[in-house]
Amino acid sequence: MNGSSEHDEALLDSVAAYALGTLSEAEARDVAAHIATCAECAREYHDLRGAADLVGYAAETPEYAPNELQSARMKSAIVRHVRAASDVPPVTVPAPGSTPAPPPASPGAPVATLPVRSRAPWLAYLAAAACLAVAFLSTFQLSNVRAQHEQDVQQLTLLRAQVDQQEVAANEARGHLALTQSIVADLLAPGAQRFPVPRGLVARSNGRIVIALQHLPALPKGKVYQAWTLRRGAKAVAPSITFTPDTSGLLIVELPGSATDIAAVALSVEPTGGSKAPTTTPAFVRPLS
Amino acid sequence: MARVRDRDPAAFESLYDGFHRLVYGIAQRMLDDSMAAEDLTQAVFLKLWADPDAFHGGNFGAWIARVARNRALDVIRARSVRPEGEFPIDLGSDDDLDETVLAKIEGERVRAALRALPDEQRAPIELGFFGGITHEEIARRTGTPLGTVKTRIRSGLRKLREALEASAA
Repeated sequence: MNGSSEHDEALLDSVAAYALGTLSEAEARDVAAHIATCAECAREYHDLRGAADLVGYAAETPEYAPNELQSARMKSAIVRHVRAASDVPPVTVPAPGSTPAPPPASPGAPVATLPVRSRAPWLAYLAAAACLAVAFLSTFQLSNVRAQHEQDVQQLTLLRAQVDQQEVAANEARGHLALTQSIVADLLAPGAQRFPVPRGLVARSNGRIVIALQHLPALPKGKVYQAWTLRRGAKAVAPSITFTPDTSGLLIVELPGSATDIAAVALSVEPTGGSKAPTTTPAFVRPLS
Repeated sequence: MARVRDRDPAAFESLYDGFHRLVYGIAQRMLDDSMAAEDLTQAVFLKLWADPDAFHGGNFGAWIARVARNRALDVIRARSVRPEGEFPIDLGSDDDLDETVLAKIEGERVRAALRALPDEQRAPIELGFFGGITHEEIARRTGTPLGTVKTRIRSGLRKLREALEASAA
C-alpha cells in the first residue's frame, strides 16, 4: 500500500469500509496495519468511525423497540443483579501468613464420635436414602417456587410503579398540551406579528410574546437557554425565563409579562437557574419592529 | 459514566434507561429474535456494570452501538470473532467526532441524516452495519461492482458525518 493519489482514493475507500466493519478479516488486518503508518488514512478512519458507529441509531425505532413487558423484564433482571452486586459486603482477605480462624465451637461441648457401624439391614439404608432424596427434591422445588414467586412479585411491583409513573406523565402531558395549544393559537392568530429568527420565530400576539424554535441543540448538564427582553427606552436587557427544549429539539414558550413595551428579544445559553445579565454571546437578538 | 465507575446503581439504571432501546433495537434488527435480543441487551449492560472502564470516553451512544453490533455479530456467526464479552478497545477516542458536537447529537438527528442519504449510499451502509456482511457480499447482493460499493460507503459516511455536524452546530 503506497501513496500515489489515484491509489490513495481506493485506499481511502477501503478505510471507510474498515470503519464500517465490512472488510474481511484479512483485509481488515492489512488496512489496520496501513493506518498505523499513514497519517492521511488514519485521519480518514477517525473521521468516519464515529459516524459509522452512529448508524446503529437507525435501529432505535418503534419497529425494533422492546415492548413494555420486555423492558420491565430486562430492567428487573439488570436492577436485581446490580443491586445484589452493590449489597455484597467486601471480602476480608486474611493477611499473608496468618492462620485461618477455626470454626466456632461451644465451650465444653462434647466431642462428637463416629457411631459404631451397626448391622442394620440394607433395606433401612435404602429407605433412608429415598427419604433424603424426597426431602432434597421437595426443598429444591420449594425454593424454586419461592424464588419464582419473589421474582413475580418484584416484576408486578415494577409494572405497577411504571403504570403510576405513566399516569402522572400523561396528566402532565395533558396540561402541557393545553398550554401549548393556547400558545400555538396565539402564534396563528390573524393579527399576530411574526419575526423570523434562526431556527424559528418570535411572535407578538394578544399582548403576549411567544418564542417557537425547532432543532434546538440539547445542552450539556448545568446549562439552560434563557430569554432576554429589552423594554423601550431601556439601556440593558432584562432576564426572562429559562428553559430546555424537549428531546426532539422543539421549543414553544411564552414570555411572562406584558408584550406591549418590549422592543427586542434575545436568547442565550446560561448556567442552570439563569443569569442576571447574558454571560454568553446570544444565539439571536431580535428587534420587534 | 463517572458515577457508574463509582458503582452508583441509580446512575447505572439511568444509563440503562437511556440506552437500552438502542442496544435492543440493534440486536433485534440484526438477530430478528426478541429473546436473543433481550439476552444480548442484558449481557451488554451487565458487562458494562462489571467493567465500566471499558468505555474510554467520547460518544457513549456510538460506543455502545458498536458493542451491541459486535455482540450480535458474535451470535450471528456462532463463533468468537473476539473473546467472549470483550469490549472493542479502540473506541471512544476523542479523535472520532468532536465530543462536544457528539453530545448534542440525538438519535432522531442521526436517523434524519441517514434518511437524507441517497438510497444507493444508505443501503450498503445499513446492510454492512446491521447485516454484518462484507462489502463483497454487499456487492453480490446488490449487483453493484465491488469498488462502487466501497466508494458509496465512503461517500455516505462522509455525508452522514457532515450532516450530523451541521445539525449539531
